[in-house]
Amino acid sequence: MRTLKDALSFGDLPVYERIGFILFIIFCLIFPWILKGGFAQAVMIQFLIFCLYGLGWNLIGGYGGQVALGQAKNVGMSAYTVALLMVRWDIPFWVSTPLGVVVATVESFVLGYFLFRLRGHYFAIATIAVSLVWQQLFINWDFIGGARGLELPLKETPNFLYMQFDSPIYYHYFAFLLVMAAILYMNWCRKSKLGYQLRAITSSEDLAESLGINAHWVKVKAYCITGVFAGMGGAFYTMYYNYIDPFSVMHLELSIMIALMTMIGGAGSMWGPIIGAMILIPLDRYLGAWLGGRGIIGVDFMIYSMMVMVISAYEPKGIWGIVEKARGKR
Amino acid sequence: MEMLLPTLISALLMGMLFALVALGLAIIFGVMNIVNFAHGEFLMVGMYTAFLTATIFSIEPLLTLPIAAMVGFLLGIASYYMLVRYLLKGPMLAQLLGTFGLMIFLRYLAMCIFGPDYKTLEHGLLIGKSIKWGPVVLSYPRLGTAVLSLIAFGIIYWLMDYTRLGKALKATALDVEAAGYMGIDTEKMRGLAWGLGGATVGIAGALLTNFYYVFPTIGILFCMIAFATVALGGFGSIKGAFIAGLIMGLIIDLGGTYLGPQYKFALIYLTFFLVVVFRPKGLFGW
Repeated sequence: MRTLKDALSFGDLPVYERIGFILFIIFCLIFPWILKGGFAQAVMIQFLIFCLYGLGWNLIGGYGGQVALGQAKNVGMSAYTVALLMVRWDIPFWVSTPLGVVVATVESFVLGYFLFRLRGHYFAIATIAVSLVWQQLFINWDFIGGARGLELPLKETPNFLYMQFDSPIYYHYFAFLLVMAAILYMNWCRKSKLGYQLRAITSSEDLAESLGINAHWVKVKAYCITGVFAGMGGAFYTMYYNYIDPFSVMHLELSIMIALMTMIGGAGSMWGPIIGAMILIPLDRYLGAWLGGRGIIGVDFMIYSMMVMVISAYEPKGIWGIVEKARGKR
Repeated sequence: MEMLLPTLISALLMGMLFALVALGLAIIFGVMNIVNFAHGEFLMVGMYTAFLTATIFSIEPLLTLPIAAMVGFLLGIASYYMLVRYLLKGPMLAQLLGTFGLMIFLRYLAMCIFGPDYKTLEHGLLIGKSIKWGPVVLSYPRLGTAVLSLIAFGIIYWLMDYTRLGKALKATALDVEAAGYMGIDTEKMRGLAWGLGGATVGIAGALLTNFYYVFPTIGILFCMIAFATVALGGFGSIKGAFIAGLIMGLIIDLGGTYLGPQYKFALIYLTFFLVVVFRPKGLFGW
């Protein structure tokens, strides 16, 4: 009961944040009815997927201050589980998704258990190494499609069991539900024991340990939860696109993208990942499509890498940090 | 088995280049404890510098080495004074992702200017030649690269161990504040470390151009090899970087020959992972 109340109450936030949140909800709810273009809706769903990834990553990367650059492998683990179960044994989405999430979480647990013996830079580069090992394996592993990836068979009629619909609106609302669940979870988490422990570890790991916090265990727990979020995102991604390959769900660039996005929005704040996704995803898709059509490649990436450099040099708390500074809160 | 000797020799030659690539990363990490993710992109810049100067002015590729070193040096200095100096004040997340930003920026800048095509040098003193010696075929570019890498390595080793400058760099690495009290301009030393890092990897890039394709996304591969090398040798250790570079060469070439070429990079990452997890200090770390 207490948990539910904590998750649902945004009472401790300042008014403008609550208004912003309500506007966000309204925007997401009416979006498919305003902009009916296929591209806009695809970008919106992409945005929601990245919100989900970012909200999960924010727990370990933002609140916990651990630079884990392997979110893509959690996404990929789950996406591949779901896709394989469907392609090989025709198992519906609602059965395979929990399995996919479990796979992603177990993988996070095992890795986290070993990797969190390391701190700082060592941890960050170890997660990169792991992602690259997985990436290479998945590219070369023929059973799961190798570099060609896996294509999911389409059912003849829209099918709820397999999450195959004829209109992107269904996907939009489903993704929106997932994001809302993630936001509510994060809202609970930031007030929970885990949230406080994570923030204590970020400010000083030694001090946190001297207060009796088992830093290793807390980090492993947070990493597993990150895995759950990524797993959900990956499963949804598979069902939405009906096609996955190691470059779209297993690639290091995805991990980097998630981290950069959260960083730009403001790591360690509730709304950071959403703001980051709101800026980067449309920028990436629209600018990328617009410039790509003119034969100019790479300018979109240059713009956001400049944003990342400026933000990490001058305002490490991201755009949310600027907002809070403007209000004189800090 | 008759494959073994040629593979071993070619692996060791390649290893010397890997060592030179990793050297810059080791210097930078040693002096200020920051990981430069843009290191592979510095290599790419060195390669393009060599490639362009060699093709546009149609000069011998080996003569482009000083130019590539110069460009690398300036790039390193510029990165330090314009970006890294500010990153050091922030949390670790900002430090890591800041150099990531630099990496993506350089990569796509190259992509934007030169396009995604693979390019190779066609003319040069070494290019395309080899000598046969029993069962061993030595390709000139690899041999020349190894020799020049060795020389560059020797110069840096001498610089770090036997000059006042090297001593000042080491003092900055050990304790910034104490070094500052001794009258060392630590800010300049850190900038210099980035400059040196950039210069060595620029040279490595120019050498690599003699026998490897030039393309904008080459960075990440060599960046990961350099990370693995530096992790194996011990972060900040120059001697470690050299020995680990040779080991990396062996792992890549032997793995590529006996396990299949598609797994050779997975092998590097695996080595990297195992080293970082089980012996984070590396072979010669301090």
